[in-house]
Amino acid sequence: MRSPKKSLALLVAVLALFGVVAAACGGSKSDSDAKPDTTYDYASLSGTLNGSGATFPKAFYEETIAGFAGVAKGVTVNYNGVGSGQGKKDLAAGTSDWAGTDSLVADADKASFKGPFLYFPTVAAPITVSFNLSGVKTLNLSAATLAKIFTGSVTAWNDPAIAADNTGVTLPSTKITVAVRSDGSGTTSNFSKFLAAAAPEAFTLTAGDTVAWPSAQSAKGNAGVAQIVKATNGAIGYVDLSDAIASGLTFASIGNKDGKFVQPTLEGASAALAGATINADLTYSALNAAGADSYPITAGTYIIVYSSISNPTQASAIRGWINYVLTEGQTLAPEVDFAPLPTALRDKAIAQIASIQG
Amino acid sequence: MNELFVTTESGDLLLSDTTKRSRRIRNRLASIWMAGSVLVAVVPLALVIGYVLIKGVGQLTPDWFTKDLPAVTRRAGGGMGPAIVGTLLITAVAAGMAVPLGVLGAIYLHEYGGRGRLGRLIRFMADVMTGVPSIVMGLFVYTVWTIAHGLSAFGGALALACLMLPIIIRTTEEMLRLVPDELRQASYALGNRKWRTILTVVLPAAFGGITSGVMLAIARAAGETAPLVFTIGAARNLNLSIFNGPTTALSVQIFGNAQTPFEAAQARAWGAALTLVAIVFILTILARIVAARVARRHNA
Amino acid sequence: MAIGRSDMDITPGGSSGGAVASLHGAGPGRRADQLFHSVALIAGLLVLAILGLIAASTTHEAWPAFRSQGLSFVTSSTWIPAEGKFGALAFIYGTVLSSLLALLLAVPVSLGIALYANEAAPSRIRRPIIAVLDLLAAIPSVVYGLWGVIVLAPFLGPHVYSPINDAVGSWPVVGWFLNGSSGRSFMTAGIILAIMITPIVTSLSREVIATVPRAQREAAYAMGATRWEMIRLAVLPWGRGGIVGAIMLGLGRAMGETIAVALVIGSQAGQVTTHLFEAGDSMAAVIVNQFGEASGTHRAALVGLGVVLFVVTIIVNVSARSIVARFDRQAQGI
Repeated sequence: MRSPKKSLALLVAVLALFGVVAAACGGSKSDSDAKPDTTYDYASLSGTLNGSGATFPKAFYEETIAGFAGVAKGVTVNYNGVGSGQGKKDLAAGTSDWAGTDSLVADADKASFKGPFLYFPTVAAPITVSFNLSGVKTLNLSAATLAKIFTGSVTAWNDPAIAADNTGVTLPSTKITVAVRSDGSGTTSNFSKFLAAAAPEAFTLTAGDTVAWPSAQSAKGNAGVAQIVKATNGAIGYVDLSDAIASGLTFASIGNKDGKFVQPTLEGASAALAGATINADLTYSALNAAGADSYPITAGTYIIVYSSISNPTQASAIRGWINYVLTEGQTLAPEVDFAPLPTALRDKAIAQIASIQG
Repeated sequence: MNELFVTTESGDLLLSDTTKRSRRIRNRLASIWMAGSVLVAVVPLALVIGYVLIKGVGQLTPDWFTKDLPAVTRRAGGGMGPAIVGTLLITAVAAGMAVPLGVLGAIYLHEYGGRGRLGRLIRFMADVMTGVPSIVMGLFVYTVWTIAHGLSAFGGALALACLMLPIIIRTTEEMLRLVPDELRQASYALGNRKWRTILTVVLPAAFGGITSGVMLAIARAAGETAPLVFTIGAARNLNLSIFNGPTTALSVQIFGNAQTPFEAAQARAWGAALTLVAIVFILTILARIVAARVARRHNA
Repeated sequence: MAIGRSDMDITPGGSSGGAVASLHGAGPGRRADQLFHSVALIAGLLVLAILGLIAASTTHEAWPAFRSQGLSFVTSSTWIPAEGKFGALAFIYGTVLSSLLALLLAVPVSLGIALYANEAAPSRIRRPIIAVLDLLAAIPSVVYGLWGVIVLAPFLGPHVYSPINDAVGSWPVVGWFLNGSSGRSFMTAGIILAIMITPIVTSLSREVIATVPRAQREAAYAMGATRWEMIRLAVLPWGRGGIVGAIMLGLGRAMGETIAVALVIGSQAGQVTTHLFEAGDSMAAVIVNQFGEASGTHRAALVGLGVVLFVVTIIVNVSARSIVARFDRQAQGI
C-alpha cells in the first residue's frame, strides 16, 4: 500500500493535469458574453444572400448586415421586412435564401418547402404593449385585462377591469383604439399565444400569424402598429421593444405568471429565457415564463435556411452569415434593444451550422 | 319662383324688380360661394406643397441623389439614388412602349378607322380604359407577367404603359384632328401615299400637341404607386437591369416610409415626395408651355 | 371645319417626272401602305385586347374565391383569411362611403370654381385659377396620402372629430353620422379624395358651362336677372347633363383611388357603420395592404375584389360618358 503522502501527491498531480487540460480546451465556452469570432474567415466568402420575413428582428438584422458587410466584403446580404408569414413563403418558393420568422412553420406548410430546413434561434426580445393616453404615464395590465381589451370586451380606458389593475390612478374615459397587424406576423403569433396561455377564458380568438381581432385598426409591420399608437390618443398596440423605443412609445407593465407587473426590459426578457425548454430542433418558447422578474411576453426569433444548398460558395456564405449573427451579432443585439441568446442555446446553434451542407 | 317673376297686365312674364333685396342678397351669397370655392381649393394645395417643400428640402443633399438606400431604415443616412433612377427608368421604359403604340392607335382611329364601327368601339373602350383603377392594372400585370417572370422593372413598366396607352391615344387623336385636311390633300396631290403622308406631313404638324399630351401621360405615370407595389418588389441598391431582379421607385419609397413612426424614415418620405413632385411638376409645366405655343401658332 | 376622311378619291396628276401612282391603285408604295394600315390597326386593337385580357385574367384568378364563397363574397362582412372566410361587404361599403363623402365635399367646391372661372372671374384671374387646378391634379396620390397620414389625420382626430363627437355624438340623427374620434377614418379619406377629384370635376364642368350658348345668357340678363339668377336660369339647366356626367367621372376616380385611401382610412375590418369619424377599409386599400403576402384562396379573393372594383368603376364610367355624350349631342344638335 502506498503511503498517504504519495496518494495525496498523485491526486494533486491528476487535478493539476486536469486543470491544465481544461484551461487549454475551452476558455471561451465558459464566458457568458459572446466574443467576436476572429478565427472565422469572412473575407473569403462571396455571393448575395436575399432574406425576407419578420419585422420583429428587422432592426437587429439591419445592424448585423451592416456589421457583416464590414468583415465579409464579398457578400451582400439583403433583408426585406414583409412579415413572418411572407418570409416563410418566400423561402418555400425558393425566391429567398434565408427567412426571418418569429413563428414556426405549420405542419401543413412543411410540404411546400423544397427540402428539409433548419431553425437557427438568433435573438429574443420583449413584445411591448405600447399605449398612448394623455395624462397617463404608467399602466399595469394583467393578462386577463389585456385579453379583454384586445377581444373588444373592454372599450374605454376607465373600465373597471383596467382600474382594478391600477389602484389610485385616474383614468380618462377615452375610447380605446386597438392597433394590430394587418400582415401575417410572428409577433401576432407570439402575442396571441401568450394571451391564450395566460388568459384562456378571456381570450376567445384563435392564436396564430393572423388573428381575427374584432374591432381594431391595422397596419403593416411592427413599425406600422407603432405609428398608429404614436399618432392616436387612446391607442394600444403590441410592438417589439426595439421599434417601440425608437418610436418613443410608453409601455405597460404586464402581469406575469407569478403575479408581478413587469416592464418590458432586456433583463426581464433574459429572465424569461433562462427557464425556457429547448427542443431538439432548437425551437423554444419563452412566453408566460415563471419567475418573479420574467417579462411574460418574451418572444424569440429564428433564421430558417435549407439544410442542403446546391452551390458550395452560397453554402459557405450562409454559414458565415449565421456564424456572424451568433457571435459578433450577439454583442450588437443589446445596442438595438434585443436580448442575446443564453449561452447554452447559442452554442447549440453554432454547432448546428455545420449541419448546413453544400 | 313666384316672387321672381311678375306678370304684367298684358300677360308678359317679367323678372321682378332687380333691386329687390332678397334677390341681391342671394346673388351676393352666390358670389361669395363661387369665389370662396377657389380659396377652398387653394388652401389644401398650399398646405400640401408647403409641407412637402419645408419638410423635404432639408433632405436634398448631393448624397441624396447618389447614395444607396440606408441599411438601417430608422436612422438617417444614405440616399434615394436607386429610387430616383428606378422611377426614371421604369417611366422611360413604359413611355417607350406606350408612346409608339398610342400614337399608332390614334393614327388608326383618325386616319383609318374614323366613323366606322370598329373605330367607334376602340374610341369608346379607350375612354373606358382611362377609368380603370391603377391597382387593377397592377393586379392584371401581376397575373400575366410577374408570376411567370418574377419581380422586375419591366413588370412595373408594363403596368404603367397600360395606364398611359389610352391617355396617349385620346390626346393624340385630338391633335391629329386639329391638323387641317388641306395639308393631307396637298401631300396626296404631290404623289405621296397615305403612310408617307401621315409620317412626313401629319405627324410633324401635330408634333407639339402630341408631345404635350405624352408629357402629361408620363407625368401621371411617374407618380403612380399601386401598379408598382406588386410588380417591382423592393431593393436597396441600384438595379439598372430592366428584366432582372427587384428595384424600387420614389412612389413606393414614399408609401413604405409613410407607414413608419421613425423621424428619419418620415423625413426620407418627404424628401422623396419633393423629388417626385418636382419631376412631375416640371413635366406638367413643360407640357403646358408646349401646348400654349402650339395653340398660339394655331390661332395666329 | 373639314373632318378628316380616310377615303380620298383623288388621282393626283403628274407634277414631277417619273411614274406617278394613283392613291389606292397598284404601284410601288402599296404594300407599304397596307403594312402601315395593319400596324396602326393592331395598335388600335391593342386597347380592346388589353381590356379583354384584364377582364379575363382577373376573373380567372379570382374564380376559386367566387366559387368557394358564392354570393356571400358581396353580402357578408366577415373577412377572416385564416379561416377561409372572404366577405367583402364592409370593403364595398367603405369604398362607396368614402367616395360619396368625397363627392359631397368636392361637388359644391368644383361647381363653384367652374362657375367662378367662367362667369364671374376677371380674366386676369382665370389663368392662375386654371394653373392652380392643374397643379392640384398633378400631385401624385401617394404625396396626398403622405400628407394625409402625417399631417391631416393626427390633426383632425383630436382637434376636429373629438370635439364634434363630444358635442353632438349623442344627438339623434346627427349623432348617427358625426360619431367617432379617429384621425384615420372614412371622413379623412373622404376629405383627401375630395381634394384629389376636384380638378377633374372642375375642368369637365368648365367645359360644359362654356358651351352654354350666348343667347341663353343674354336672354336671362334681358329679363333683368342678377348674375346668380342667370346661372340658375340659363347655365345650370342647360349644362345639367354634362355636369352630372362630370360628377360621375369624379365618383369613378374616387372609387378607384388606392394609395391615399390606404394610408388614411384606418384599415379596420368589418366596419359597416354610419359613424363617419371611425376607421374602416376600402376595396382598393385592402388589396394593396394584403396582396403582398396572400396566397391561394386569399390571393384569389383579393383579385376578386379587383374584379368587383373593375366592374363597378366601368359601370360608373360608361354611364358617365354616355350621359356626357348625350349632353354633347343635345348641345350641338339643337
